[in-house]
Amino acid sequence: MPEGPLLTQLDLELRGIRKRYGSFTAVDGVSLEVGKGQFVCLLGPSGCGKTTTLRCIAGLEEPDDGDILIGGREVTGDPPWKRDIAMMFQDFALFPHMSVAKQIGFGLEMQGRPRAEIEARVREVLASFEILPLADRRPASLSGGQKQRVALARAMVTEPRILLLDEPIGALDYSLRETVMLELKLLQQRSGISFIWVTHDQNEAFSLGDLVVVMNHARIEQQGPPEEILARPRTPFVAGFVQGNNVFRGKAGAIEAGLLRIVTEVGEFLVPAGAHTAAPGALVSFSVRAERIIDQPDAAVRNRVTGRCTAVEFFGAVRRHVLELADGSLLKYDQFGALAPRFVTGQVVDLGWRAEDAVLHAP
Amino acid sequence: MSTIRPGSPTSYWLAVPAAAWMLAAVVVPTLLLLWVSFWGGRAFSTASPLTFDNYIRFFSNGAYLGLVLSTFGQAALLMAITGTLGYSIAYFLVVKLQSARWRTALFLAFVIPFWTSTLIRAIAWVPFLGVNGVINQALIFLGLTSAPIEAFLYSMAGITMAQVSLYTMLAAGPVVYMLNTIPPALREAAMTLKATPFTVWRRIIFPLTLPGVVIGQVLVFLNVMADFATVATIGGNKHALLGNLVLNFYEGSQLRFASVVAVLLMVCMLAGVALALRVVDIRKLGA
Repeated sequence: MPEGPLLTQLDLELRGIRKRYGSFTAVDGVSLEVGKGQFVCLLGPSGCGKTTTLRCIAGLEEPDDGDILIGGREVTGDPPWKRDIAMMFQDFALFPHMSVAKQIGFGLEMQGRPRAEIEARVREVLASFEILPLADRRPASLSGGQKQRVALARAMVTEPRILLLDEPIGALDYSLRETVMLELKLLQQRSGISFIWVTHDQNEAFSLGDLVVVMNHARIEQQGPPEEILARPRTPFVAGFVQGNNVFRGKAGAIEAGLLRIVTEVGEFLVPAGAHTAAPGALVSFSVRAERIIDQPDAAVRNRVTGRCTAVEFFGAVRRHVLELADGSLLKYDQFGALAPRFVTGQVVDLGWRAEDAVLHAP
Repeated sequence: MSTIRPGSPTSYWLAVPAAAWMLAAVVVPTLLLLWVSFWGGRAFSTASPLTFDNYIRFFSNGAYLGLVLSTFGQAALLMAITGTLGYSIAYFLVVKLQSARWRTALFLAFVIPFWTSTLIRAIAWVPFLGVNGVINQALIFLGLTSAPIEAFLYSMAGITMAQVSLYTMLAAGPVVYMLNTIPPALREAAMTLKATPFTVWRRIIFPLTLPGVVIGQVLVFLNVMADFATVATIGGNKHALLGNLVLNFYEGSQLRFASVVAVLLMVCMLAGVALALRVVDIRKLGA
């Protein structure tokens, strides 16, 4: 990864992008900085504005407000063919009447490269993507995985500054995704091209992104490295959207020794106050990750709940116990390793967590 | 209830009613026409000897050959005009119009006139094109001409105007269909690969709509070749194409000649369709 002085020039900068369709606001003031050769994942539920943001970067939509800079150059009003980008579409958007080789050469043709160079470059790319035998095939005769490779090769061959990917592996079989994800990550690192990857799948976002941008209701809720978003969700939405968080809501009480007392339906808890300044009585929320929950806590653990086990789920590396608390809300408790379940369904147990493992959300 | 399996002997019975109808209404009359066109001798009877006399007489008449040429010329002219116009209309309706409501409204406005018969629509042009017609009155009102232009009605220009209005939808319809099958992402993908809008059209959209264009052209070609009603109503007695010649011979009880022209017309039309099929495989449409 290029570090230091190279990072001073941004590949992409969004400044307060806004896009409205009639009365519906699709993107509401999105700002983002993407350093050189970064892998950025736009993550969020459907309709959150991530695809519209991507289309604004591509020039397929024109924002009502805000600026877009690619490689430091203002491109806001420019059409797609004048931007230093390439895009990979969700359904791959392969041209049905062109052979794979023709298809991959299309972008080079548009750049006005000489025929001999195009042919050589296309063969090179076909070989590096391991699709040389497909050169003369039409898209209709390709499998999903093959189409995905062709679409990627077609976009990458033009060597853009930024590659935009709209749910690029969403159409693939689940079993293929893990392999493809690793390949794409390695490819991105080798090429030094910035990837802007739109997905609603947090596994994709967290395992691929250098930077994860969580969006909801047309806005960015939080952006940062995946570890930070997992460990320190900034808002109740992020905490709820990211798997494995237990979210509690309650009223703020007093701050004692840097810990904020929060009164909820299921008890009183202490949460690191940080820069919290809200008045006592204000509605606040915090979260604690399922793997931070402690079974049979000792006296030193001050945050405690009692729950009845309602389900035990097995995810391979993790066994998740779901417990119902006094107010009917559910608490997740994750246990690592393929051990036997800690509780059986119906069992009533005492659980807790250390105060420093809870994360207070921004109001 | 029993099931009729595809390919089973019983399934062929399903084709019998349609086959019988086609045989009686199309195949047999066509064969009769073909037979009559070869009848020689003086008497008009089934006992006539079969000769090429009728065809030789037709081809040795320069006026008739001129008519064949002008019919082809008219068809080519109409194909060019309706092809361009139809493609533009189709492209506008499918690609340029963003609002689905407007698209439906304009498409209906475009299609509804075609619910009336071709003959009625041809006749409807007369009050437009005549010396005191709508077009001339508008031109005089606007001061673009002092005296009414007579060349509209009873002229090839008038016939062409009427035919353009009659057949543009035939050229546009299949293109609308083909344009609708093209996902918008294809256009966008081409644009992100640095293709300008015209290049996108030339390299992506046009090749993918070509089957629709060819089918539209075939439909227009067949209709113009066979059109005698428009030529008769708008052209008066001054102008004729091959179709009118069939009618003339028929009305003059020259059935052998009527058959000859009808057979030639059919051969021309079949040749046109065969040519079109060499360009585009219509059977692959929608695949």
